[in-house]
Amino acid sequence: MIHLSNVSRHFRRGPDVIKALDRVTLEIQAGRFVALMGPSGSGKSTLLNILSGIDRADEGEVEVAGQRLTGLSEDELAVWRARHVGLVFQFYNLMPVLSACENVELPLLLTDLSRPERRRRAELALEVVGLMRERFEHLPGALSGGEQQRVAIARAIVTDPDLIVADEPTGDLDARSADQVLALLSELNREFEKTIVLVTHDPRALRWVQAIYHLDKGSLLEGVEATRATQAVEQTLGVPPRSAAR
Amino acid sequence: MGYLTLVRRNLRRNRLRTALTAASITLSIFLVCAVLSLPSGFTAIHDRLAAGTRFLVHNKAGITYLMPYGSLQQIRAVPGGTAATSFSRFGGVYDEPKNLFPNFSVDAETVGDIWPDFQISPQAIADFRRYRDAALVGYQTMRTFHWKVGDRVTLRSTVWPVQLDFRIVGELPEPHGNPMWFLFSRTYLEEAVRAKGLSAEQAGMIWVRVADPADVPPVMRRIDDLFRNSDAETASETEKSFFESFMSSLSGLTNVILAVGFLVVVAVVFITANTCSMAIRERAAEIAMLKALGFRRSVILGLLLAETLALAIGGGAVGAFGAYGVLKLLAALGATGARPGLGPLSMFLVTPWHVVEGIGLSLLVGVVAGVFPSWGAARKPVAEALREVF
Ligand SMILES: Nc1ncnc2c1ncn2[C@@H]1O[C@H](COP(=O)(O)OP(=O)(O)OP(=O)(O)O)[C@@H](O)[C@H]1O
Ligand SMILES: [Mg+2]
Repeated sequence: MIHLSNVSRHFRRGPDVIKALDRVTLEIQAGRFVALMGPSGSGKSTLLNILSGIDRADEGEVEVAGQRLTGLSEDELAVWRARHVGLVFQFYNLMPVLSACENVELPLLLTDLSRPERRRRAELALEVVGLMRERFEHLPGALSGGEQQRVAIARAIVTDPDLIVADEPTGDLDARSADQVLALLSELNREFEKTIVLVTHDPRALRWVQAIYHLDKGSLLEGVEATRATQAVEQTLGVPPRSAAR
Repeated sequence: MGYLTLVRRNLRRNRLRTALTAASITLSIFLVCAVLSLPSGFTAIHDRLAAGTRFLVHNKAGITYLMPYGSLQQIRAVPGGTAATSFSRFGGVYDEPKNLFPNFSVDAETVGDIWPDFQISPQAIADFRRYRDAALVGYQTMRTFHWKVGDRVTLRSTVWPVQLDFRIVGELPEPHGNPMWFLFSRTYLEEAVRAKGLSAEQAGMIWVRVADPADVPPVMRRIDDLFRNSDAETASETEKSFFESFMSSLSGLTNVILAVGFLVVVAVVFITANTCSMAIRERAAEIAMLKALGFRRSVILGLLLAETLALAIGGGAVGAFGAYGVLKLLAALGATGARPGLGPLSMFLVTPWHVVEGIGLSLLVGVVAGVFPSWGAARKPVAEALREVF
């Protein structure tokens, strides 16, 4: 599903060059639900952006959902994203002028579905994420954070993408809403076989994901280091996870 | 939901700002449409005055110099001319010095032949010849002073030391007659002036009519040749060119007004561009999100530009049709004579073409004001846009 080999991404800041990603090699099978963890500034968002076609690697090869992303133009990437990736962010970023249902319909404007069909699929997606029907016509401002994140997840799945990427989707939620969102992502993974890559600081994610990748200073931790990092997360949680990292 | 819903909702997001921006565009386009009507208003007046078979002879030294009255007899003898009349400024004011309007003494018996295109009623022409104190008055002047046919009015001359009582025997009727003129008999003036021990045996200008427009140039040439090297050389010019030179001073002013109008539009472009870029900055997060969702740059540009264009064209259309309506209303008011203070304002009409031009201009305002901020937001790479807002 996701093949990254020797991917690097550098940023210039004044005279310095920051290696946000340094020769990262990563394989994620289709249908997996994995987490990316690491300290702030370790390159998690950068990696997520590259494998979702938002950003482009400076070096290395990126292939996602059968498409080689290296070398695609900004517009080609946009078209590819619209078809293959569902995005969820920490701040739900719904259009404040559109109702919940209209927000979910938004990505379908890029398809050639008819208006009623778009509407039907948007409602279906909202049902899948468990938003109450009477909330469908509410503007985002009238919804709670958890509800808004559900709407954002519905928007991410409405195009039936192969891959869902979520950058700290629970970062702005209380514990209960955060659990619900993680449970929902897990359900999407199990029942709809979506590949999900989750960036998070939240140790509770361990209960749901099948694997954890640790980033530090732009590099993936491997072997013993990775195991140790996972154990460290487990300890903060006090509960064994469903499965260990590689 | 479709793209239009999105554009509409975004426009309603900050109603006050949308309304104020649209209002500034409305006002500027209103102004431009009103100003655009000026040149064509002048042209309309002047086309109406130019009959094509008439021309004017005046002293070569300038129109304020007089010619001997005898010149008229010589001109009448020139082959090709069918009628001629003296036409001398009386400079009369009615009641108060501010009530100044164009009044002229003419040879009463020729009026019908010189200005057949005015379509003066035969009764008025007959009465004009019959009564020595008769006057024919333009319809606009009639309305301005609330005069009727049959009224007696007194004008005090600013050229001669006399004051004359007139009876209005007829109108230079709408729409073909000269709206402003007040014409009366030269002999009536002559009597009054002679009583003061002076003589008015002069002609300020002389109107000549020919049978066919093609006769105008040769007859003009013959007349000027006739008086060449005399004490009073003449210069002939067509009616059209006469009014053109008269109005060229006005057209200078018109150009200034036009320039001011367009500068206002330029200012509005800046204001709109500023509003537009503020609105786009506020929505940076949403725009970044749209990009992330896979909306291409052209679609984002289109969405943002559509907003500004809708605003500009909406505001512009109100302004253009508003100018059309308001000036039409002024013209209607002017026609009833209820508001003489309007004066020539009622002569200017915004044509449908001006409305089209006004709306076209507002389209341009929208494009110029919207394209830079919209393109700036649209072309920013998605990763950068996301990073700036999250
Ligand atoms: N566009 C950019 N310009 C300059 N530096 C950048 C840019 N994008 C990322 N960086 C730098 O690259 C490094 C990795 O950034 P990234 O956002 O991937 O970190 P992260 O792991 O997601 O951190 P956090 O947990 O705080 O979100 C950071 O040092 C960041 O400052
Ligand atoms: Mg991050």
